[in-house]
Amino acid sequence: MDIGELETTAALAQIDLGEGDLARLGDAVSQMLAYFEKMNALDTEGLQPTTHALVKDNRVRPDIVEPSALADDLVDRAPEREDRFFVIPNVL
Amino acid sequence: MSDAPSPWKSFQAKKEAYLAYARPWEKKVGSFLTFRPEAPSSAGSGPSGARPLEGLPFGVKDNIAVRDFPLTCGSKMLADLVSPYDATVVARAKAAGASVIGKTNLDEFGMGSSTENSALGKTSNPWDQSRVAGGSSGGSAAAVAAGLVPFAFGTDTGGSVRQPAGFCGVYGFKPTYGVLSRYGLTAYASSLETPGILAKDLGLVKTVFDAVKGRDPHDQTSLDPESQPVRPVKTIAVLADLADLDPGVKAVYEQTLVHLKALGYTLVPVTLPTLEYAVPAYYTIATAEASANLARFNGIRYGHRPVYAENPEHLVRQSRTAGFGNEVKTRIMLGTYVLRSGFQDQFYTKAQKVRTLISNDLQKVFDQADLLLTPTFPVPAFVHGDKTMTEFQQKLADKFTVTANLAGVPALSFPAGLAGGLPVGMQFTAPAFCEARLFEAAAAFATRVPVADCPGTSLDWSK
Repeated sequence: MDIGELETTAALAQIDLGEGDLARLGDAVSQMLAYFEKMNALDTEGLQPTTHALVKDNRVRPDIVEPSALADDLVDRAPEREDRFFVIPNVL
Repeated sequence: MSDAPSPWKSFQAKKEAYLAYARPWEKKVGSFLTFRPEAPSSAGSGPSGARPLEGLPFGVKDNIAVRDFPLTCGSKMLADLVSPYDATVVARAKAAGASVIGKTNLDEFGMGSSTENSALGKTSNPWDQSRVAGGSSGGSAAAVAAGLVPFAFGTDTGGSVRQPAGFCGVYGFKPTYGVLSRYGLTAYASSLETPGILAKDLGLVKTVFDAVKGRDPHDQTSLDPESQPVRPVKTIAVLADLADLDPGVKAVYEQTLVHLKALGYTLVPVTLPTLEYAVPAYYTIATAEASANLARFNGIRYGHRPVYAENPEHLVRQSRTAGFGNEVKTRIMLGTYVLRSGFQDQFYTKAQKVRTLISNDLQKVFDQADLLLTPTFPVPAFVHGDKTMTEFQQKLADKFTVTANLAGVPALSFPAGLAGGLPVGMQFTAPAFCEARLFEAAAAFATRVPVADCPGTSLDWSK
């Protein structure tokens, strides 16, 4: 994968790549992609893709309100909070 | 099969003696990221008849939620997160009478085969501390092998329960996809992963499985086990073309065939033509799902965050760049790439079709035999920082384990013997919902090759 492709992919993945990362991750990613190409040797014409091995249908449940006691605990675990709000770092 | 091993029932009463045994051992092995054996039991209450795990302590891989314990996933990203709730498998094990005493180390977010990708601790193999415990559930396997807990939960996305179990000489069980709820697991590759169980006692693996299995309203992909006709295992498929095995693993494999024949099983040579495509298909699907699942870690609500940022996007990028380790970044990048518009058909859809082929291939094997036998991993535990086993080679070596995840079927790694003083695991794979066959054949095998105790392991504290 060339540097341009790598940088585009990193931007989509929301990861910053430094100089060292570009070389190291670039090599690791390219090596795996080349390996993925191996699958092209297989004829898969006409086959359905498997998304889940055993779950075949969508499952629905009744649309009813159920109590959950988790909300306060979840807010309590915020790194920083004000009342019942999450405080995020300063964005200037 | 035996019930839960009795020495552990005295755990709460003999805690002083246990601690004197466990503390120095754990210092050498490093199986836990959080270890709280001194805390009072967190088991649920209920009628004792419904409590098959009464009094037993257990360990939980640190990507599975346990109320009031950290949930780090072995990542700097989540180093400070404490879970407000229990995963379903944990809640059910507690209700059955067991109590969590620690969270075990792992490769960051379950990505690796050595536990060396943990950002938060080093785990060594109890059999030889210069070697790795395997991964990604390396801490769970090491804790069980060292006799620090009678059982532990891991997660298995491509072999992450079975491979470390093989490296550490214990049982590692991956059930049929969906039979154990994923509620409370930190998602990595949702269509492949499942909780799994590690123990040195096969009967206990089954007892724990029975206590925690079944459909869960919190996981819409969870399933009740389908009842299968019970008939004795008679035929075991073996691969006619096994290559690239370490000599020690090969020797144990050949010995295993001798034992299985002596037990009266008929060995049926088969081929799995798609086996060499299982690893590329697996990593395409796993990294694609990982890139989507790990998109939630953005430093906004929880997780590693910078002190300030220039704009919201910068905040997210800083959080992820500093919070994730190298292997996680590699997999997110790969997954992002294979899902990019223009590449999806070439990689992701192709891999899902290969997945169909692999399932069909496996079905053909099960038309001819009750079980499939393979080694769990082509090599025994390697040394820490081994340069001959690069990240890429570790991935190639997943070929025997990933097949079960792609097809959603159950598999069990069982201790099959030693090679050069190191344990070697073999693996049975069964059709969906046929877990009973795995337990039956592994129990028969253990009558000929009993599970070896790791040197230094002892239950003397319980006396």
